[in-house]
Amino acid sequence: MNDRPELFRGNRIFLACIYWAFVLYVFVPLILMVLMGFKDSRFIGFPIRSWTLEWYTGVFADTEVLSTFGYSIAIAVLSTLISILVGTWIAVLLEGRKFAGRGLTFGLTLLPALVPGIISAIAFRIYARWLGIEPGMGAIVWAHAVHNVPFVVLVVMARLSTLPKSQIEAARDLGADPLITFLRITLPYLVPAILGASIFCLLLSFDDFVRSFFLGGYEPTLPVMIFAMLRSGMSPEINAIATVALVLTAAIGLWAERFTRRMNKER
Amino acid sequence: MTDPEPLVRIEGLTKHFGETVALDDLTLDIARGEFVTFLGPSGCGKSTTLRILGGFERPTRGRVILDGADVTNQPPEKRQVNMVFQDYALFPHMTVAQNVSFGLELKGMGKAEIKRRSDEILSFLELESYGSRYPIQLSGGQRQRVALARALAPDPALLLLDEPLGALDAKLRGQVQQELKSIQRRTHKTFFFVTHDQEEALTMSDRIVVLNHGRVEQDGTPEELYFRPASRFVAEFIGETNLLSGRVRGKEDDKIVMDWHGQTLRGLAPQGSPDQGEPITASVRLEKLQFHSERPEMPNAVRGRVVGKTFLGSRMAMEIAVDDVEDAMLRAYVDAETGARVGSDPVWIGWDVDSMAMLTD
Repeated sequence: MNDRPELFRGNRIFLACIYWAFVLYVFVPLILMVLMGFKDSRFIGFPIRSWTLEWYTGVFADTEVLSTFGYSIAIAVLSTLISILVGTWIAVLLEGRKFAGRGLTFGLTLLPALVPGIISAIAFRIYARWLGIEPGMGAIVWAHAVHNVPFVVLVVMARLSTLPKSQIEAARDLGADPLITFLRITLPYLVPAILGASIFCLLLSFDDFVRSFFLGGYEPTLPVMIFAMLRSGMSPEINAIATVALVLTAAIGLWAERFTRRMNKER
Repeated sequence: MTDPEPLVRIEGLTKHFGETVALDDLTLDIARGEFVTFLGPSGCGKSTTLRILGGFERPTRGRVILDGADVTNQPPEKRQVNMVFQDYALFPHMTVAQNVSFGLELKGMGKAEIKRRSDEILSFLELESYGSRYPIQLSGGQRQRVALARALAPDPALLLLDEPLGALDAKLRGQVQQELKSIQRRTHKTFFFVTHDQEEALTMSDRIVVLNHGRVEQDGTPEELYFRPASRFVAEFIGETNLLSGRVRGKEDDKIVMDWHGQTLRGLAPQGSPDQGEPITASVRLEKLQFHSERPEMPNAVRGRVVGKTFLGSRMAMEIAVDDVEDAMLRAYVDAETGARVGSDPVWIGWDVDSMAMLTD
């Protein structure tokens, strides 16, 4: 009896060490990046002798950077809308139904999430050219939407599977036909899942480099622009842009996580 | 059953789920304003009947006639039938008032009319102050009442109740039983209640249909079922009883004389007369056994010894080993004082012919 708590405590300290090592491993590069964005020198490295907001004011004054930001957000929003529509529709079709080939259908639905980005990007490029689709916003939105659909399907299906059958039956019993039942009972129930999936899709699209690079026209998305800037060397402006993007995505992600968790608890 | 135009007429209803026969050729009528309970163990077909009446299942064979019209193939939204679900199935994203108004909106009522009707039903069920709450903010009993209000609001011809008391604790359940019965009386609605709880069935119903393996075991008033069970299954399922197995010795008018381990007992004859020498089972309710110190002047009397007592508050459960009959135990309920008086001396146990129902199986 006496040994076991000791052993347990030892384990806990060990586990805590591993945890904090992991935190350092994840956050040190991010912290470095953020710090360099405030350093009053083009040279990246320590020591930092004086601080500045110069890089930030530069970035925010640069209309090209701002329009790229907007372009990336527009792509993210459009592709998310499409993924949500298609993904929710597929989830509703697949969940709780038994038909021949359901497993195959489900597998095919998930495939776009599993194909390596570079391969799907090249495939899209070839396909787009064959169809005569010009590289640019449309092509990127299309590729992002296809890539994100599986995530929507998974999240929405998981939520749908927890909807008690009696809810649907109660609505029918009270006079609602299947369509009204879907709109007034099923859809409101899916809202937390759809919101969560939307945020996830927005972030995935905003962050995507490979597909945007291969399918983009003359106008770069944010990651593509950063990549282009990098070719002329690392600069504090990149740190500033990346920090803004980091804060934005982290804030949205955290808010969404809290929000969906609260909604799930309420319903 | 003699009603020339019953509200519901069930004709030859049969339902197969793959190899399983859930309902086997069920035929019966439900009169207007009746509180009818379908009672039976799980898998007896009671829920299947309810779901067919609600329109959630289609029978393999047979028809359902509601108010003179064949509704067998009608979807649930077209039927003048509403249901109180076992889990209540309240819509979590709607307030109590919105839940109750849902069915009214879909009937195409005007806004003012909906408001009037929903207020009326909420105050009828004493829920008027809960209209703006969400289901998650209510207690179990309140949710149950909201489910009832929602189902009653569209003024259905038939109300289906699927074990709606199962989720309530024992104390609340008794109270809600009284409430349900009184609501049914005041609304003059036809209630079709499904339960596996015999006590619930006995307290509330005008009529109980006992189902077993998709067939009707017995159909009658609670009193008939309790005191004159038609089969061993019913006798065992409803209340507590002593089952005595013996052989038919003969008949006297409407009585059967049976031989039970050498003792001669008399009981009410069942439908279809068993022949002499055939095996037969008799059922005697625990509270029908009387204790005497001398042999009583009763048609049925046996001598025995009390071997066990259990104090139950208002009464006492006694276990009696019958003399000269090995392994024959009788159980009886007596009031606590009588129970306390009875010692280890031999006692006589007597009961009337009326108290003993002879069972065919």
